Amino acid sequence: MKTLELRNLAKTYFDPYAGSHVTAVHDVSLDVQQGDFVSVVGPSGCGKTTILNMVAGFIPHSGGEILLNGKAVSGPGPERGVVFQSFALFPWKTVLDNVGFGPKMRGVPKAERDKIAHEYLALAGLSHAANRYPNELSGGMQQRVGVVRALANNPEVLLMDEPFASVDAQTRMTLQEELTRIWQERRPTVIFVTHDVAEAVFLANRVVVLSKGRVLDQIQVALPRPRVWDDLMEDETFKRLSAHVLQMVRSA
Amino acid sequence: MNILLRSWSAYTRATARWPGLAALVPFIPVIALWIAVTESGMFPRAFLPGPVEVVKAFFSLTYRGILPDYLQDSLVRLITGAALGMAIGIPLGVLIGTSKWAHRVSWPILLFFQAIGDIAWLPILLIWFGFGLTTMTFVIVYTVLFPVVLNTVLGVESVPRDLARAARSLGASPARVLWEVTLPGALPNIITGLRNGLGYGWRALIAVEMIVGTSGIGFLMFDARRSGSVVEILLGMIILGLLWYIVDAWILAPIERATGQRWGLVTS
Repeated sequence: MKTLELRNLAKTYFDPYAGSHVTAVHDVSLDVQQGDFVSVVGPSGCGKTTILNMVAGFIPHSGGEILLNGKAVSGPGPERGVVFQSFALFPWKTVLDNVGFGPKMRGVPKAERDKIAHEYLALAGLSHAANRYPNELSGGMQQRVGVVRALANNPEVLLMDEPFASVDAQTRMTLQEELTRIWQERRPTVIFVTHDVAEAVFLANRVVVLSKGRVLDQIQVALPRPRVWDDLMEDETFKRLSAHVLQMVRSA
Repeated sequence: MNILLRSWSAYTRATARWPGLAALVPFIPVIALWIAVTESGMFPRAFLPGPVEVVKAFFSLTYRGILPDYLQDSLVRLITGAALGMAIGIPLGVLIGTSKWAHRVSWPILLFFQAIGDIAWLPILLIWFGFGLTTMTFVIVYTVLFPVVLNTVLGVESVPRDLARAARSLGASPARVLWEVTLPGALPNIITGLRNGLGYGWRALIAVEMIVGTSGIGFLMFDARRSGSVVEILLGMIILGLLWYIVDAWILAPIERATGQRWGLVTS
């Protein structure tokens, strides 16, 4: 079942300094099935974050359609959860209240949303940090909160914009493994934007390669799950796929 | 050496136990200098009285009920003016900070009127409202308003865009974003604005009381000049400093510790 459909999506904006129109996204069509995990990779400036921002409703699209369960979307909404590279946690709320924010906006009573938040914090191994403030946590822990905050709101699709780009390499690998574990447990529909080819292949069922605002190719990733770096690092299929995608991105 | 270290250690422990002590100790040399100068007889006593005379005047004026009354008058004027200034300033700052259009239109006007300082309004205010509470309140509100507005705008604009986006995609309406994200995010700056506003407002109030007042600390000091009572002038000055220290240390600093510093928005 198709959850998200992008049909001939385009983004053109006017640059008042240059005095001309710039096309960031040309003509992108993409289907995402329910419960699928799709990575979007491409060199910087390929339009991947622009696409994500349009799907999230942060910026308007200038051509084509974005359909969620067959309905056109406009503006941000709770059915499209977002995980940010900057984490975007509310500094004045405790970890518990950050995770309970989505349910709070839906009008869920305090006791029940605390229960939901505790459940999702346990999923990320963060139960001990429930009453701390974000600035008291490490970057890796902050982004774990960012991920479960989006999940706790039960979105139709989870949009992740280079979420692990600003944590250190070891933490990043742990977070990637945790994300695949959580995805297997909960089966959210995920679009994961990154410039890291290995990350894209490691996480996804399918890797979409973008170049200059167009879809260059889509590659199926038929690696077994659960995925852990210790197994995949030396896995021939993983290495072959990564090399293939990397080559495409570099030549793009 | 050992004695020095031991007294340093005793001082550290004492100030940890009574933090107020750390605020008083720096004044010991100041007061000592004051005593030394008055005792040396460099100036006639009527020109520069010593601390003892000032303390005596404090008790005498307190006993006669003048000082408590004047102090209350000044504080009520400041609080009324500050409350009004905030009630106007914070919403105005949020509006200007959230709307690019409002910012463009109002910014030059704000800077223009900011430059016409509080006291510069007095001549025309005296013609319009006369010598009275309206004039005084206007000046305080005017003085408090600008730091509150300018800092609120700064605060609203400094809230990261991703926070509002995150709130929106978690289901918050624009009104909820204002309440849950914009205001708490701007709070440290709003408090800075309030701190500056109260400081300027306090000074403006004293100045205005000197000119149009019939009561208040500023009036006390100016009235004392007429009767040549340097003691009362000095007392007024000391009260101004003390009162500001109390407001800062007991009200503003605790609020800052509980908000911006706790959240990591401001480094302590």
